[in-house]
Amino acid sequence: MKSKLPYLLLLSFLFVITSAKSQEYYVKSNLENLEIEVGEVFEPSTYAVDQDGKPVSCPQIVYYNKNGALNSDDGISVSRRRGTIKGEEPGNHKVIALCLGLVDGWLGRDFDVKVSYAKAKDLSVKLDSDQVFVGSYVQPSYEITDNFGFTRYNANIKIKPSNDNIQVDALNNIKAVKSGKVTLTFSLDAVETSIDLNIVKNPINNLVLSSNMNTARTGDVITFRTMAYDDKNQLISDLPILYSYSGESFDKSNTAAAMIRDDGKFVAETAGNYLITATAGQRSTSIPVVIYDRGIQREVINVGTGLVQERHTSDFWVFEGVDKRDYAVSGTWGADGTTYFWDVTDPAQIRKIDSIQVDARTVNDVKVSEDGRISVISREGASSRRNGIVIIDTTNPYDVNIISEYTTNLTGGVHNVFIYQDHVFALSNGERFYVINIEDPKNPYEVGMFEIGEKGQAIHDVWIEDGIAYSSNWKHGVYIIDVGNGVAGGSPSNPVVMSNYSYESGAHHATFPFKSKSTGKFYTILGDEIFPQGIDLYSTNETAGFLHFVDFSDIDNPVEVARYELPGHGSHNYWIEDDVLYVAMYSGGVRIVDISGELMGDLFRQGREIGHINTGNPNGFIPNATMTWGAQLYKGHVFYSDHNGGIGSSKVLPIKPDNSRINEYLDRPRLID
Amino acid sequence: MYRVLLAFLFFNFCFSQNYYIYVAAESDDTVSVLKFDGETIEETDRITVGIMPTENEGPHGITIDPSGKYWYLTLAHGSPYGSLVKYSTQNNEPLSKVELGLFPATMEISPKTGLIYAVNFNLHGLMRTSTVSVVDPEYMVEITKIKTGIMPHGSRISADGKSHYSVAMMSGELFEIDALELSVNRILSLDNNSKYRNAMHHSKIKPTWVSPHPNGKTLYIAGNGSNQIFVVDLESFSITDTLSTGEGPYNLAISPNGKFLLATLKSEGAVSIWSLKNNKFLKKIKNTTSVSHGVVVSPDNKYAFISLEGVGGEPGKVDVINLETLSLQGSVNVGKQAGGIAFWKIEQ
Repeated sequence: MKSKLPYLLLLSFLFVITSAKSQEYYVKSNLENLEIEVGEVFEPSTYAVDQDGKPVSCPQIVYYNKNGALNSDDGISVSRRRGTIKGEEPGNHKVIALCLGLVDGWLGRDFDVKVSYAKAKDLSVKLDSDQVFVGSYVQPSYEITDNFGFTRYNANIKIKPSNDNIQVDALNNIKAVKSGKVTLTFSLDAVETSIDLNIVKNPINNLVLSSNMNTARTGDVITFRTMAYDDKNQLISDLPILYSYSGESFDKSNTAAAMIRDDGKFVAETAGNYLITATAGQRSTSIPVVIYDRGIQREVINVGTGLVQERHTSDFWVFEGVDKRDYAVSGTWGADGTTYFWDVTDPAQIRKIDSIQVDARTVNDVKVSEDGRISVISREGASSRRNGIVIIDTTNPYDVNIISEYTTNLTGGVHNVFIYQDHVFALSNGERFYVINIEDPKNPYEVGMFEIGEKGQAIHDVWIEDGIAYSSNWKHGVYIIDVGNGVAGGSPSNPVVMSNYSYESGAHHATFPFKSKSTGKFYTILGDEIFPQGIDLYSTNETAGFLHFVDFSDIDNPVEVARYELPGHGSHNYWIEDDVLYVAMYSGGVRIVDISGELMGDLFRQGREIGHINTGNPNGFIPNATMTWGAQLYKGHVFYSDHNGGIGSSKVLPIKPDNSRINEYLDRPRLID
Repeated sequence: MYRVLLAFLFFNFCFSQNYYIYVAAESDDTVSVLKFDGETIEETDRITVGIMPTENEGPHGITIDPSGKYWYLTLAHGSPYGSLVKYSTQNNEPLSKVELGLFPATMEISPKTGLIYAVNFNLHGLMRTSTVSVVDPEYMVEITKIKTGIMPHGSRISADGKSHYSVAMMSGELFEIDALELSVNRILSLDNNSKYRNAMHHSKIKPTWVSPHPNGKTLYIAGNGSNQIFVVDLESFSITDTLSTGEGPYNLAISPNGKFLLATLKSEGAVSIWSLKNNKFLKKIKNTTSVSHGVVVSPDNKYAFISLEGVGGEPGKVDVINLETLSLQGSVNVGKQAGGIAFWKIEQ
């Protein structure tokens, strides 16, 4: 043991010497206080100085942008081959200079570099019309070309009117205030351009505002129309109308909250009296509407539970067996590859009837064929690192048996699967999905593959309906793909993309197609999956994100129109039937939401929630910690799986008839929280 | 007698050594801190890692900063790219994160440049040329990606910190990267198949690990597919010798004094040990559970620590091998599928 002491002392000494040596040098560069323009290329010169201030060459110098060395469009790009930097976007950026090989260990320094737009070389200004009404705002569009040839469409442009027929405020809003001619001069740097404008009297003599409803419930979308007439009572077409509202909530402590769009669509979140106003120039008109509570809440009661106590539960599927009894299958997460089979014929008496264990740590997804004969489960964390899928005979759910496993091209782990007409759609390594024919489940074989073909492509889920696949691809959004419908010439072996929609958060995790029975409109409902605070496997977790309702009625022009966002809880898997949404909101339990009628705005705040149930179990893997994974309406019961508790069933009670005891607890604390 | 006993206890109190190790559990998204006191090994902390509780992010490679203040962890899976996370050894809290390539795996910090070099294993992706990511650990920025071979896995830095070595499993190649120039310096086709340079050809050798000898003259490569270890002379950059192993040599470690070579035998659940004085096989030691993975040797050359994956719901384990007696000294349970393992410190 004594022999160790000198050794350790020597190590400590060497460490001190090395550290001290690193500190003897300081990096200097002409990057210091550098200012360059967008598009400008600069060649830095960097060296080290010793403690006496003597310059020393660095054996190797590496530059990179602190915001991301491999992201060339983020402020500054670096060419390591040429040893140059280039301004990409205006702003204050940091460039790191590393001096490699001079000393042992890290030696470098960051430098602030300011990037500005280059001087404008050309300024082009366009207006929709050279005639404008008194009281209207003028909205020009700009195109600026700079000395490096870059084009941009916005800048701090100076606007000067030739007379007081026009007013320009500090934010460059341009308002026509008097009839007559005016010249507007726009200038940037040393470039200047002018436009002549004719301001005329507003021809509107009368505005008529009408709507399709004058009373409605929260969440109902009212459409307002405005007709403008001149002093000869002639209709004036194509006038821009500005809509606004004011209101007073029935609940005196609440805000009269609503949303109104440019096309005259109005939806209220709170009950109250509202006044809708249409404005065109200096003319305006208003009509009142009365909004009542939606009044759709119902009691949701817990019916039965299938407890999984010893491990986390993942996805589940409820199905009718060959014997016409009702069954469910559920996976497990971060455990030992176990899948459970349940008899749920009596939803109040859910019974575990069989299980299967495969070489995996997580069986994330489980699906069952329409005839109830085949179940497909996904594997992640196989000790062989060959994950793939496992095909199970569920003809007798009391005695299930593995038919085959399939791993080709699926070794990286299968997170989700879907069965559609003798084909399994299986995600591979979170990057793409493969289509596997299982007509002969003993001998599955690959027939097709789909990937979006983008750099950084990632996929989380795929759902099939009517031969159309809805592929959820995180930041790349949803891809709608013909995989057998034929409408776009697609088939399982030849998937054909029909449309795509993505949104800013990039957290797109699941998609459910929704054809509204009440309106005939076609939506995709896109769910986020976000854990803002990271994770704790052994405690409750914070979740975030919401459901995005995208109107795909015109498949080439999808429009996001509404959201379901539950404050404090994030979305996971969901199910839709008869214009009712059953959504697992992780820590928020199962939420049952009325999505009938036209959809617009924030559906939760509009009081569209019918009811909810918390799915935590006092005997669960994490007791009482609701973490609802999935929900499925099956034969009148709302089944669910809970990450910490297993599976369960619940029931939405009917609307309360007079003098009944149904829903008697609706306004009291929940029975099953 | 009483005095002797008192002196013994005093000596033990004053001079007993504790060894600290970090080990990552790939299927549990956890990292364990282990303490070995020369007799028994115990888990002192278990840290949950990753961002998404419902996704397995697969902590794979782990390494400790030369100062001992930080540890770095590669997370294999993301959306789709994996990442590198920097933690403090003081409280095991994450400090910063940077996205790398597909399935970032093994890595080390060069003592010369202070930069991290991490291979992007891309184990489950298409058979395409992958890369080594170079990361500045001060700012946690990926500086560049250097193209190497197909499925690069094992990687280690030379003792002088000037070279980075990695082996590509599927193209069967050894890559030497100049750690200062940040570019590939030399390539050796282990299958002697130069026409398939950097091309997918299901290498029969399937190299999974490379360990440079501290003397800077040779390095050793685990041929997982051929059940061999290849000895490569660094001056001629050619294979000069092969050692036969058991089934599935996977990871390698050379003791800091250069005397011992250890190889985990993944398919056997064992570790084999050679003397490097004459490349003589010394002993094969059965591990306490199946699927042996990583190995690291203590700086005092006394002990080797072996990470063991296990199967399904079995816990992962870390076995301690006494290199003086060539015997199993102890074992401890950790999270499932224990893989990446790194030595932190010896404490008096």
